[in-house]
Amino acid sequence: MANYYNIDDILAEEEFVPVVFHKAANGVIIDPSSETNSVEQGAKVELPLWLAQELYLRQAISISVPACFNQRTRLEIQADAACVDLKSRSPYFYEFGCKIAPLVGDKTIEILLLSAFKIRYKEILTKAYTAVFTTSSKFLTLLTKEETNLYEAAQASMAAFKKWRMGGPRLQRASVFGRKRKPFD
Amino acid sequence: MAGQSEPHISLFSAEEVEFMAEDELIEIVPNMRMAPLNFICGDFGPFLPQIPTQVPLWLAVALKKRGRCAIRPPQWMSVENLTRVLEGERESQGSFQFNSMKALILCFFVDGSARDDIPDMYMVRSLIEDIRDVRIHKVETSLEKFSGTSAVKIPNLSAMEVNIIRPFVGRALQAFYKHDNPEKIPDVDRASSQQTRVANNEPRRPLRR
Amino acid sequence: MGSSAGEWSAEQIDDYETLISTTDVELLKKAWRNEKVSPEILPFEEALVKRAKEQIQLMEETVDDFVESGHDPLIASLYQMDLDRAQFLLRSYLRVRLQKNRPRNPSGFAIEKFMFYIWKTDTYRNRLSMEEEKFTERCIRDIGKHLEETVLSNLPDNYQSVLNQSVISEEDDMVPEPLLDTFVVAKCERTTRPLYLDGSRQSTGDDHFLMVPGDLCILRYRPFQEELMSGNISLV
Repeated sequence: MANYYNIDDILAEEEFVPVVFHKAANGVIIDPSSETNSVEQGAKVELPLWLAQELYLRQAISISVPACFNQRTRLEIQADAACVDLKSRSPYFYEFGCKIAPLVGDKTIEILLLSAFKIRYKEILTKAYTAVFTTSSKFLTLLTKEETNLYEAAQASMAAFKKWRMGGPRLQRASVFGRKRKPFD
Repeated sequence: MAGQSEPHISLFSAEEVEFMAEDELIEIVPNMRMAPLNFICGDFGPFLPQIPTQVPLWLAVALKKRGRCAIRPPQWMSVENLTRVLEGERESQGSFQFNSMKALILCFFVDGSARDDIPDMYMVRSLIEDIRDVRIHKVETSLEKFSGTSAVKIPNLSAMEVNIIRPFVGRALQAFYKHDNPEKIPDVDRASSQQTRVANNEPRRPLRR
Repeated sequence: MGSSAGEWSAEQIDDYETLISTTDVELLKKAWRNEKVSPEILPFEEALVKRAKEQIQLMEETVDDFVESGHDPLIASLYQMDLDRAQFLLRSYLRVRLQKNRPRNPSGFAIEKFMFYIWKTDTYRNRLSMEEEKFTERCIRDIGKHLEETVLSNLPDNYQSVLNQSVISEEDDMVPEPLLDTFVVAKCERTTRPLYLDGSRQSTGDDHFLMVPGDLCILRYRPFQEELMSGNISLV
């Protein structure tokens, strides 16, 4: 299980999804404000993905498409993908989308993710290399977790390169290797 | 989509790339007499006054610093040639024109220790940097064209350029791969393996898979 | 580097081999790069490491002799530089393999990331040197003991395994595995058969995806495992 300890993978499964109960369930409190400790058949509630997934496999519920993949988001992405605030929709927009698509049987979600990413990665790239922090900070608030990782990866490697380039004459600083050591044990 | 590596840690440090580039051969003209050097990394010399010979960059720089040789810039390291290369890079979208395996790093070495051996050092350096910028831009912005094949050819990119684009390009391609091949995502396998578990319907806590 | 495309004869390949990897330093450098880039542990380069150690030892003696005999200090210092470089490479190679057993991971929880997986996978276990095997065994023992004492012994009986979430797990579902679908930068060294960028063995009719020696590509690691082991590609 390659992802077992992956914190982002865990958090992506904490995202809530709208579900409808097919069976009544007793002894569970889904909504703390409700008066009974049961869920009726046909009840519409929101559950974290990890729980919804388990109940779905037991055919206790059906899952519908979460709000962050709704028509409005799709239209906004079609209009200008780079400017859509995906982070507020879900910091794990892509990962969440990949996980939810097979559960709701909606192939268009994958297409949406791909087309959004195709446009946004270029924007991320440009911002990472060119913009000074003050102007790009607003842009940064629109990015999902993985997009932020991408931004930081691009920026960090370019910064490391620039630092090295400014490092002055070669071979004068302490070199990467140490001085002579005695033979290997 | 998260890669397995942490985004801030480059695979190779700039110093490591530099270390590797120091083994590239370059021509020097010694001004002293010295017997051949039989190194672990190969045999070099003999060194005779005014007789050009090929040595690794690190050796060239070591000798130059001690005033024992002049470094001969490679032919391609002229303003005319680099200007031509830069124009070529700007014009052609697909192909990369110039084998720059050592260009940039060589340039910095030479700049630090053998400035007097190269005419127009400043121009040469800024041309090489421009070429690098054009290339990095070309590779990175053309990623989605290749997403269907999940691989990209990057002809003649230097080790340093590779190192700069790697963290971003690797992650981005991984994302393309994942969204292009949803059926290959492990989640689906997991879901189906869960189905079999459900069949025996054991009561269990919803564990993290 | 190298010639144009097409079929390569065995002699040509040998020539190419001697041309590009004349010294053990070059081979060691390649092994270090491959190991550093690949997402999985590669077979230990036993013969190469042995040769490198011998050469380093020999060179150390030579440098000592130079210094003692009052030889030209310039020459002694040049040999010392060569020695430093070879040692750096050898250490880097050995070290990167250990770090692969225990990759640096900022989230802390996964320090022992691949140890357990390597241990239970024969292919990987056979790729370790004797010393590495000992190292891995001790790590597993120590970490297992530590986890048992601090956490696992306090959990209910069904949840005390280092490898499984609970006794009903059908597989070792807490053992992280190397992610072979990561993208790596590779160089085509030689072609004994046509190699395509996407790892397929059949031409799609588009030669743009055909790799020829000298080509640099970013590709998905998994389809190229064999090509890396056989030296047809190297990682950079």
